[in-house]
Amino acid sequence: MSLWARFKNTTLYKSIYRNEYPDTPRNQVLVILNSVVLHLHPVKVPRRAVRVSYTWGLGGLSLLMFLMLTVTGVWLMFYYVPAVPGAYESMKALDTDVIFGPFARNLHRWAAHGMVIAVWLHMTRVFYTGSYKPPREFNWVIGVVLFLITVLLSFTGYLLPWDQLAYWAIQVGSNMAKVTPVIGSYVQMALLDGYDIGPSTLVRWYTLHVILLPLACIALMAVHFWRIRKDGGISTPIPYDEDEEEQEELALAAGETNE
Amino acid sequence: MAEAPEKYQQTGPKVKPRQKEEMVYTWPFLVSIEAIMAITMILAFALMATFVDAPLMDMANPDKTPNPAKAPWYFLGLQELLLHMDPALAGVIVPGAALVLLAMIPYIDRDRRGTGIWFSTKKGLPITIFSAIYTAVIEIALVLVDEVVRLPGMPEGSYRISATVTYLLEQTGLPTAAVSWVGSIFIPLVLMIGIPWVLAVIVKRRYQANTREVMIALYTFFFTSFIVLSAIGTFFRGESMHLVWPWELQPPQ
Repeated sequence: MSLWARFKNTTLYKSIYRNEYPDTPRNQVLVILNSVVLHLHPVKVPRRAVRVSYTWGLGGLSLLMFLMLTVTGVWLMFYYVPAVPGAYESMKALDTDVIFGPFARNLHRWAAHGMVIAVWLHMTRVFYTGSYKPPREFNWVIGVVLFLITVLLSFTGYLLPWDQLAYWAIQVGSNMAKVTPVIGSYVQMALLDGYDIGPSTLVRWYTLHVILLPLACIALMAVHFWRIRKDGGISTPIPYDEDEEEQEELALAAGETNE
Repeated sequence: MAEAPEKYQQTGPKVKPRQKEEMVYTWPFLVSIEAIMAITMILAFALMATFVDAPLMDMANPDKTPNPAKAPWYFLGLQELLLHMDPALAGVIVPGAALVLLAMIPYIDRDRRGTGIWFSTKKGLPITIFSAIYTAVIEIALVLVDEVVRLPGMPEGSYRISATVTYLLEQTGLPTAAVSWVGSIFIPLVLMIGIPWVLAVIVKRRYQANTREVMIALYTFFFTSFIVLSAIGTFFRGESMHLVWPWELQPPQ
């Protein structure tokens, strides 16, 4: 008996993996049911829905970007100081003094752009495949809110490096929000904590970026994934209406006799 | 013989009544695809992060305004609108309305037929292509017109449709405050409602579009607008947000 086989027989291994390697139907079911990550899936999926050309995997890629951003974001948080001029100095330090600093920052930046694009394309895929149709209406609404949160996450993160690019992009962006009819000055105060972007704006946006918006995103993602299952799983063509089928055949038959 | 009611010309696979979906095990059929995609994407992003550095310019300086100052790329479509109309309209009302209208789609198009099929009907793809071209042509034309329109006699340095309308109305003796909203709010609103409206009317007439197909036209309008306006804002707006060619753009200092 090999060492590995012996290890698989120990109480420790069996306490972690409840089933054998999933190469039999029974274990292919159990692996999905027993794993916290895999159990987001149903045990079986429609064959037509696993084609890459149907979904392009965009929903999954959005989640992947979110995970990459969480990991790299935590790495950046170890070093980042939400203060003026500490924020900019920590960016500089990240580039020179921190192991994997530039890599983590680059990855965070590119994955952030990637997530906005992935979420946007995912929404477009869902639209063009008609997957928002009943009974999936409300999950589409949640998806629209998730798109908004994704953009806000990216936008709040944009200010944090506190360089010229960040400062003036946020200046332009928040000037748009300032002119909200009726409640403009309140929006400005809520967003900037003052009349202009300053150190307190940075703290506010940092808090939004690292805790409030990610938590909101996680909560809504949980509902989004849950509802995919509850609304009947991934969308597939609905059966043709029988009457319509009949009509179509009649119309065809009529057409043939006419000719 | 009475005309048969317009059939729902669904494209793609047809599922017969009571036909069961062919199912496959998630492990390995879906899990393997997910794993391959995840690994590929992680590798691609890791490679990019290794070789392409995220930008970091000089420390923020409120006294030194770059020219042009641009928002993040996903807001450049809105910043482009900002050039042509009232800021409250471009910056708040348009994006707010867009999100609300997006969320409303499934409550307007309630017909389940066409679910799970790319473009749903035989007309879906032609309508998408038509709507995209229609939107792109009109919007690019409007941006170009707004860049050059200027009447002789207008004050130095003023141009654009909005200023021209204000100038013309002022000639009738009306005060500036009363007429400036015509150019900056009324005309943009008419265009922003009118362009998709006319599109919906065209696809209804030309393609006998049903609700789903009208939705396809309107979403395509929204999607194309986002791409066209963001691309103009990103690649064609130079100093003082004037139109330039992409190769004339100065990298931000």
